[in-house]
Amino acid sequence: MNQISRRDFLKLARNGFLYLSGALATGGLLRFLSYESESTRKTEFDLGSVDQYPLGSRTSIPEIPALLIHTDSGFAALSLTCTHLGCTLEPDETGFACPCHNSAFDAQGNVTHGPAVKPLQVLRIEITNDGNIKVFTA
Amino acid sequence: MQTKTSTFRFLLFIVSGFLLVTLSLVWWNSSRQPIPIALTPTLSGETEYCTTCHADLPQISVSHPVETFGCVSCHGGERLALDADLAHSTMRGGANPSALSVVETSCGGSNCHSGSEADDRHHIQRVTTSVQSTYAGAISNILFTFGAQPVLTARFGIAAVTDEDTKTGITSLLAFDPFNVDHQSIQKFGEECLTCHLHAEPREGEAFARETGCAACHSTGEHNLTTAIPYTQCNACHNRGNYDLRTMTFIERTDQPTDRLHDYYQPIAQFTQCEYTLDCIDCHTRSEVMGDGDIHNNQAEVEYIQCKTCHGTLEEIPLTKTLTDPNDIAFTLAFLNPIVDLQLGDTILITEKGEPLWNTKVLPNGTYEIIGKATKQYFTFNPVMGSACEQKPDEQESHYCHECHAIEK
Repeated sequence: MNQISRRDFLKLARNGFLYLSGALATGGLLRFLSYESESTRKTEFDLGSVDQYPLGSRTSIPEIPALLIHTDSGFAALSLTCTHLGCTLEPDETGFACPCHNSAFDAQGNVTHGPAVKPLQVLRIEITNDGNIKVFTA
Repeated sequence: MQTKTSTFRFLLFIVSGFLLVTLSLVWWNSSRQPIPIALTPTLSGETEYCTTCHADLPQISVSHPVETFGCVSCHGGERLALDADLAHSTMRGGANPSALSVVETSCGGSNCHSGSEADDRHHIQRVTTSVQSTYAGAISNILFTFGAQPVLTARFGIAAVTDEDTKTGITSLLAFDPFNVDHQSIQKFGEECLTCHLHAEPREGEAFARETGCAACHSTGEHNLTTAIPYTQCNACHNRGNYDLRTMTFIERTDQPTDRLHDYYQPIAQFTQCEYTLDCIDCHTRSEVMGDGDIHNNQAEVEYIQCKTCHGTLEEIPLTKTLTDPNDIAFTLAFLNPIVDLQLGDTILITEKGEPLWNTKVLPNGTYEIIGKATKQYFTFNPVMGSACEQKPDEQESHYCHECHAIEK
């Protein structure tokens, strides 16, 4: 069996240490660079084909949250985020109600009961060339 | 030369080994950090990582969902930090953002709890000028008793407070410092007796356990805010003992209550059934308890609910109001504590100041119903008018009613 010399052992160990250090440092750098401190809020939502939303339908889209309305005039999207402090509204017999602070809105999004004072936001809609509906919140 | 090269190689070996150990430790340490859980509340729109460690906390109230408020809006803190010490380093009021020293930043704002009086959203202004916060009555009584001020009118509060629009004539109170007065009893009062106002940390002991500020009344458990406040919460300050003015010390209750009546009150007075079956907040109104926005001299000046508020007198039935305005404050209060399905057209009792007793209802047969705000229990009761009661209409203080209606102690 060949005996390794002290010099070769030191060299081998040193190189091993440096390779491992390099790998760790590179991994750490990648991890640091890939860390997303501020998660980006989604502002664009693809709701799929227009065919899924027949004329007369009012479809709740919890992900946004919004209500997609299909009337003779076309598609409209009403934000279901309360304009008071931002709670998610719930539909009721006359429109929408805020479960947090009791604000209420009619079916068109107008305030019928405070503390909210502003109407619900109407969201921008786009129909893509391939027939999908996109809703934008910003 | 050979020795120098050899030493250099060995040194290089040591340095590279040290580098590897250091980097390994850094990697290991960073790997111990939890995987961040991001929450971007609607209100702030800014990502925060508090729920990485605090996902198990119960939602504080229906009105403050975490998806909307997050944590930082109320608590402060370093929203992106994953190290506990760093994350907590800039929190407001420690674990209690409603402490009165920070409440304006934590709970204030025109859309929240320091809005306009017209919108009935000036809660912080009401609380900070209330006697529960100023303790003005106790302070002026002590100063007057020991000759440090010539009249009983309030001049000092626990903290300096002003109210330019006051209806009481008291536009401000100075901050009380008992050690500015050269009197042993007043200084002892400062040391021993200032533990029951909203700025003060409670006395030691389970019976006194409460938070300060808004949470002193509204927090009845871990991470919880409620308007359904049971008498036990009030009793963290009230009915826990007495002040001995000779020694200027607080003497704790020593009795061992075994039922609600004896737990509710100290065994030194008489009470009717409703005074212990109901909770304090079933009768005492918002303006009595939380203040009306004005600075008052003492507790006696703000308490105005009497037996006749609900029962009327021999000559008058109690005041009532039929709800015709959907924006009536009664609906808001019933929304915050949904124990009763209040409807337009319902007739409820109101106080002489017009405050709605929204947990009451006038029944079709002319009797009344009250629902416990904390217990959710239903009770019916009758007006005095038309009964066999012989009480004079101008003698309505509770001790007159106790003469016939007090239960056995």
